[in-house]
Amino acid sequence: MTPSLTLEFVKETMMEYGTAEQARQNRIRIATTPDKVLRAIQHVLGTLGCDRLVTISTVDNGTTFELIYHFIGPHRTVVSVATEVPHEDPWVTSMSGVLPPAGIYERQIHDLFGIVFRGHPGLKKIILNEDWPPNEFPLRKDWKKNPDTYYGGIKEGWSRHA
Amino acid sequence: MPEVTVPIGPHHPALKEPVNFKVIADGEKIVRLELDLSYNHRGIEKAAEQRDFIRVLPLLERVCGICSHSHSTVFAKGIEEIMQLEVPLRGQYIRTIIAELERMHSHLLWLGVAAHEIGFNTLFMWSWRDRELVQDTLEEMSGNRVHYGMNEVGGVRCDLTPNQVRAALDRLPHLEDRIARYVEMVNDQQTMLLRFKGVGKLTREEVLNYGAVGPTARASGVDYDVRRDDPYLVYGDIPWNVVTDTNCDVYGRTCVRIGELRESASIVRYCLENLPEGPVRANTPKTAPAGEIFSRYEAPRGELAHFIRTNGTNKVERVDIRTPTLANWTSVAMSLVNQNLADIPVIVAAIDPCLSCTSRITLVSSPGGTPGIITFDELRKRGQTRYRGCGP
Repeated sequence: MTPSLTLEFVKETMMEYGTAEQARQNRIRIATTPDKVLRAIQHVLGTLGCDRLVTISTVDNGTTFELIYHFIGPHRTVVSVATEVPHEDPWVTSMSGVLPPAGIYERQIHDLFGIVFRGHPGLKKIILNEDWPPNEFPLRKDWKKNPDTYYGGIKEGWSRHA
Repeated sequence: MPEVTVPIGPHHPALKEPVNFKVIADGEKIVRLELDLSYNHRGIEKAAEQRDFIRVLPLLERVCGICSHSHSTVFAKGIEEIMQLEVPLRGQYIRTIIAELERMHSHLLWLGVAAHEIGFNTLFMWSWRDRELVQDTLEEMSGNRVHYGMNEVGGVRCDLTPNQVRAALDRLPHLEDRIARYVEMVNDQQTMLLRFKGVGKLTREEVLNYGAVGPTARASGVDYDVRRDDPYLVYGDIPWNVVTDTNCDVYGRTCVRIGELRESASIVRYCLENLPEGPVRANTPKTAPAGEIFSRYEAPRGELAHFIRTNGTNKVERVDIRTPTLANWTSVAMSLVNQNLADIPVIVAAIDPCLSCTSRITLVSSPGGTPGIITFDELRKRGQTRYRGCGP
């Protein structure tokens, strides 16, 4: 088995993209900025030898959204690339070109958080149904149900038998 | 012949994983596949942010009806790591026993479903009958057949009595016999060889490129298994092997699952025979310090990941769930290209999704032609009729 990645090696190679830290064995996290994230990921796939995207996690921090791309490779070390985008105009470059599996995760995040992935070939709804009201993103912290709106054909106090 | 669009789905509100395929076909050959998942979003991630750690486990267990233990274990072990809690060894062993029994019942269920898709209903009946042995053991240990509710943050809810251990060990020899029979069958049963071999090919490079996980990936020689790569529970300390295959098709995925059945049975036996004495649960603090953890777990269908962030209270700030089926869809969409329309059921079944979603299909005979609706059963029959008479 390929030896694990060391923090020193990751720090050295990823220096221009941001700081790296190690939470525990087999977990290395690199914080970077949205404009560098695509190049950082290409670097992770190349120099760091990762060959697979595990998932893209999203957190709503109130004023920013945090996107964390988790990668894994033959070295069995999870390399996470984290970046933050502002709440007002959340967008980041799509990874679906370099990483086909990113496409499905990006569609999901677009649905639930409203983050725009520029350059995605088909950023259509995947999780929510087609009559979900536009510009409502249920996993945002500040999302509130509007009592007058139908969500998936149902609204507050609605009954099939009324 | 012009390309036609065959929409499969779109949804069944009562089922848990609704999927809408839009299959673009040229005659019988599939050209492209477009996906739309999850008509009913249940908002479990949002609901999890509002519950404390005691109440969130039963909720997360209900993410899936088959790998219920997976979801609660991956979350519990993540929170325990943030709390820096040491789970007693006996608790870890019991978690492992339940986890492997769950893998066995899931794979036996899959084997039955796959057999049913190819019209081999004898195998379907056999494997589901044998699955009852596993289900009985799980019910005896936890009191439940589906949502075991065994996990708590810090350990497991109930201990195993010597009688339960003995009863489980008594059932194992028969189960192992049956698994050995399935190993034989997959090597010489013409029905299985004919319908599984060469169907749904995915090369090693494609698997890595499309990010497939679990038995789908291991059947193409990609030996990723979180149990070995990132050991949790007791997998680092007990003898077992990662099962891989190089057939790269539905047949390979069957071989991997049957091989894993054998491995799981031996893990269960080892854990039951070497169950250490001691407590099963540690005292847990009510709150967790602020932190984040990326918790991974090898569920029956592949790698399951929970990204957990805590904020110092007794609730999570965010839990982001990535289920193995979601990771596998991209590879399904790719492996269906250039395959037969009649092979859709078995290729889709090969990743072990919740198949019931594709319960309805609209057939469009030609662009502008009248669409008619056929059921999934009819699609399955279509596949079986097509292959009838193809035998040696």
